[in-house]
Amino acid sequence: MRDFDLVMPRTLSEALAAMSASDISVQPIAGGTDMVVDVRSRRAKPDVLVALQHIPELQGVVRENGMIRLGARTTVTELLQNPLIADHADIARQAAQVFANPMVRNLATVGGNVGSASPAGDIITPLLALDAEVELLSENGGRKLSLENFLVGPRKTVRRLDEIIVALRFVRPAPHSGHAFYKLGLRQADAISIINVAVLLERDGPLVGDVRIALGAVSPTPIRAHQAESILRGKTFTDSEAREAARIASDEAAPIDDLRAGAEYRRRMVRVYAERMLQQAWSRAR
Amino acid sequence: MNMKTVTMHINGRTHQMAFAPNVTLLNALRDLGYTDVKSGCEKGDCGACTVIVNGRALNSCLLLAWLAEDAMILTVAGMGTPDNPHPLQRAFVDFGAAQCGYCIPGMIVSAKALLDEISEPTDEEIREALSGNLCRCTGYIRVFEAVRAAAQEISKE
Repeated sequence: MRDFDLVMPRTLSEALAAMSASDISVQPIAGGTDMVVDVRSRRAKPDVLVALQHIPELQGVVRENGMIRLGARTTVTELLQNPLIADHADIARQAAQVFANPMVRNLATVGGNVGSASPAGDIITPLLALDAEVELLSENGGRKLSLENFLVGPRKTVRRLDEIIVALRFVRPAPHSGHAFYKLGLRQADAISIINVAVLLERDGPLVGDVRIALGAVSPTPIRAHQAESILRGKTFTDSEAREAARIASDEAAPIDDLRAGAEYRRRMVRVYAERMLQQAWSRAR
Repeated sequence: MNMKTVTMHINGRTHQMAFAPNVTLLNALRDLGYTDVKSGCEKGDCGACTVIVNGRALNSCLLLAWLAEDAMILTVAGMGTPDNPHPLQRAFVDFGAAQCGYCIPGMIVSAKALLDEISEPTDEEIREALSGNLCRCTGYIRVFEAVRAAAQEISKE
């Protein structure tokens, strides 16, 4: 594996100072489930890795007013086990359940999955459905932006080289929302998504309230299917509307052929699973 | 590249050794003589390198050794001896759960992590806990039977 220096700051300000070194490649490392693999495969070529192990400001899942804030170092196992997630963000818990495998879940972090920005990042899709914001921080200050705007391409984000992701935040969904997540993979576990779909919707009697449909592994970044959402929002939920929304969602996807699956198959699976997840979320909503 | 002396507590013994930053816990353990920890994919996909660090099962190929400073680490060799095997080790032998044997250290460690958390796991929980340990030989049936049997054995103690 490539030589690199490993810095292990004990405080947030030490970490931000380490990140601000300019003329060399400095990258953050949390769980290492992507970074170590990428350094070994030479996809990543850091000169310095800044380990975020011991920074308290990056830990914790808290409820703040009407929002839930996930510290960037929240592991996928924590998403699976934390009662706040089960109560308010079940869609993230559902994604955590089928994320990689138990050992990787113990190491992998929310900030890492977002920062790596894989098009198939399984935690990104539910966070898009939750309409999450990314909080970034550097020595020069902090900023917040929507996760949707943070992701700009395969493994490309607008994170500046001196910034770290501190947290992901989202407005708590309405208590009786329906949450449905599906991951299609070549195995039932320990797999990279062929597609994944996250649906979060509110129900108002026979009408759909707010609805979010997020799709993963079928575009350069995980995306929201905004056009599909717009035909459902505020309308009566019917089987044919769900089917039509799923068809529109599959048109909004831009899948590619790769070693796991072909583009046409992916597009068809978006249609199938978007419809199923809409039905599932609808039946779970009150 | 700078070396750093890292202290680790492995199977009850304390070790200190100098490592470069790019050495993984897997490499470090094997350099320290713990060759019961196997190298498979070195990508976190196969689970052959599974160890328990501070109570959590993880892939030692993904953790940099420097980040395991002062950690309590358990490998399969630390779970029992030939004369006094851990119930999981005995069950894996009794049920013929090993063929080539390469996945087995990781399987047993993952199973230990499961039983530490859930003493009477359902079949679904066993499958889930071992879902990151890939086996090309056995089809997993006898592995699951062994874990089930060991769980019963342990809960009788």
